[in-house]
Amino acid sequence: MTGKNCVAIASDTRMGAQALTVATNQERVFKMNNKTLLGLSGLISDVYTVKQKLDMQVNMYKLRENRDMKPSVFNNMLSSFLYARRFGPYFIEPIVAGLEGPDNKPFISGQDLLGASVFTDDFVVAGTSESELFGTCESFYKPDLEPEELFETIAQCMLAAVDRDCLAGWGGVVHILTPDEHIVKHLKGRHD
Amino acid sequence: MVEENRADKSFPHVDGGFNFENFKRNVSFMNSDSGIKGTMPKAWKTGTTIVGVVFDGGVALAADTRATGNVIVDKNCEKIHYIAPNIYCCGAGTAADTEMTVSSISILQEPLRDTHDTGQISSQLELLRLNTAKSSRVVTAMTMLKRHLFNYQGHVSAALVLGGVDATGPHLYTVYPHGSTDKLPYVTMGSGSLAAMSVFETSYKDNLTEQEAIDLVAEAIKAGIFNDLGSGSNVDVCIITKDKVDMKRNFITPNDQGPLRASISKPATFGYFPPGTTKVVSTDIETFATVTTDVEMLEA
Amino acid sequence: MGDGAYSFSLTTFSPTGKLLQIEHALNAVNKRGKTSLGICATNGVVLATSKKVASLVDLTNFQKVNNVTDSIGMVYAGMGPDFRLLLKRARKQAQTYFRQYQDPVPTEQLTRMTAQIMQEFTQQGGVRPFGVSLLIAGFDDDGPQLYQADPSGAFFGWKATAIGQDFVNAKTFLEKRFSDDMELEDAIHTALLTMREGFEGEMTEHNIEIGIIDESRKFRVLTPAEVRDYLDETE
Repeated sequence: MTGKNCVAIASDTRMGAQALTVATNQERVFKMNNKTLLGLSGLISDVYTVKQKLDMQVNMYKLRENRDMKPSVFNNMLSSFLYARRFGPYFIEPIVAGLEGPDNKPFISGQDLLGASVFTDDFVVAGTSESELFGTCESFYKPDLEPEELFETIAQCMLAAVDRDCLAGWGGVVHILTPDEHIVKHLKGRHD
Repeated sequence: MVEENRADKSFPHVDGGFNFENFKRNVSFMNSDSGIKGTMPKAWKTGTTIVGVVFDGGVALAADTRATGNVIVDKNCEKIHYIAPNIYCCGAGTAADTEMTVSSISILQEPLRDTHDTGQISSQLELLRLNTAKSSRVVTAMTMLKRHLFNYQGHVSAALVLGGVDATGPHLYTVYPHGSTDKLPYVTMGSGSLAAMSVFETSYKDNLTEQEAIDLVAEAIKAGIFNDLGSGSNVDVCIITKDKVDMKRNFITPNDQGPLRASISKPATFGYFPPGTTKVVSTDIETFATVTTDVEMLEA
Repeated sequence: MGDGAYSFSLTTFSPTGKLLQIEHALNAVNKRGKTSLGICATNGVVLATSKKVASLVDLTNFQKVNNVTDSIGMVYAGMGPDFRLLLKRARKQAQTYFRQYQDPVPTEQLTRMTAQIMQEFTQQGGVRPFGVSLLIAGFDDDGPQLYQADPSGAFFGWKATAIGQDFVNAKTFLEKRFSDDMELEDAIHTALLTMREGFEGEMTEHNIEIGIIDESRKFRVLTPAEVRDYLDETE
């Protein structure tokens, strides 16, 4: 979700094999660099594999070009990465959120497992609670929120949505990226 | 040879070929009875109504702007893709396939005669233009696309409407996912193709003017938007003439909910969650070091 | 034993620490190559080169300054055929980069990749080094830039430089004429004045080629008519 000079990604913290809950402290939102957050939903082993492969790419890019990868460039690289595996995909749906350029313009995008991107200037959603999230975000999103307000909005949208999804929940986490801070807040949520 | 110059192994398609490292694993997932299959993410489709028509001196392309997964994932996506300065292409089918094949990222190595080399049609065409110093022809783009699609026997599911104006005049093609092509004065593709074609069959005439062509394609897309469930939202139109391309993004927006939403009066407190609403268990803050941009040059 | 005994192999160092074949390649550039030069101005870059050839050669399809991408241009001194291969590789590298990131390749990265190819040809079996030095001009987020790449694979950024037959004199001239606040128009004139220094015979729009890039980030080769105009202005 985008705010005023800030972006945020929220995620629940459940990891399960269908109905069996395996863990309730699963992190799947990562900071790729000081301007880019990445959220990955889907098969958890692929989440790790893809995250590690992308980390390598982002670090190599930084060493080679002596600059941070912009969120939009990261999105495109991820897209090529996923489409390369068109016929043997990683089972993930990524969300990229970051601050672009010198004036820290919010950038968000979502992709499917083959690397098709959707760009919006308000919010993107992914994962098992996708349809519920669309509902809450459509209702509660407001443009130009300050980081603190954005946190409350995205957290409430996420919590309300996962409470209607039996495969998600068990706590949540919100990552907020501002030009000079990366804030991680763990949320109290229903454990049923 | 030094390894670095080779294309990165994570991006084999950039130099040629898809990566099949997960293929066997994925087949065994799909065959296992653990139920994992049902929870796998699904590739997005464009659903789509896309059309094109040749008019006096040019080509008009148009598309709707809906992309679907389990729900509508994008209400205003772009389906008219750049191929060359004088050639554009509308895509229907699997969103990733249409986007990557035609324009944005890449497809694979597929030597076009002895020229070369690299992936993605627009990229191949740019190299061809640089190396021959001549502007691209629509038939070249069409041939590259059909070779690629035929090569993959329909597994790259892109159905395309390709249009452009080159040294030999305006051209309009459809390219089917299996690699067959048609060259016609008016064409439609995608799930809304029947609705759109009904408009063409009713109203098309030879030697349309530019304005008539714009109106006709927009009407055809609207037929798709309102009658085909897979198509929706807005009408994008692209007019290609001999020395100009006019991309009319969101040319018609018949489904704009903005005014309606604005007219609903909500209490000021609606959707406002005062700080502290959400129960927070822990907070970690990483503050970035401020980078000073003023660097003093040292005397050598 | 003199260095001569070690010049048989591309990959054998002489006792003095030189790789003779690479020096010979540099000679192919600086003794035999027609002069090319580049100047990096505050708001753009100019590349200029001499195209003097035998009088009966048809010049209509002879081009030395070329686009690598929309926003990067390249010229050479030395062996034309070698340059064509490098140009083709550079163009492909640029496209590969663009397809991965959907972001135009920065000039420095393109130079690095091209120089890398040149380096590989100094250390491989069955090949010889490239008989060309390159000047690469681009305009990206880091502003206007000018690079030179040599047969050894070494590359440098320059404010103004020259390669080919007359490079020593040209560089001396450029050192005198260059100023940090020089604008593109000024740089084009300086480029022509520098070319004239070592030019035998009359400079015309047919035996001089110029490529420029400005804030529009579009590199383009000037038409003969435009070159004529600049020549007239510098009369």
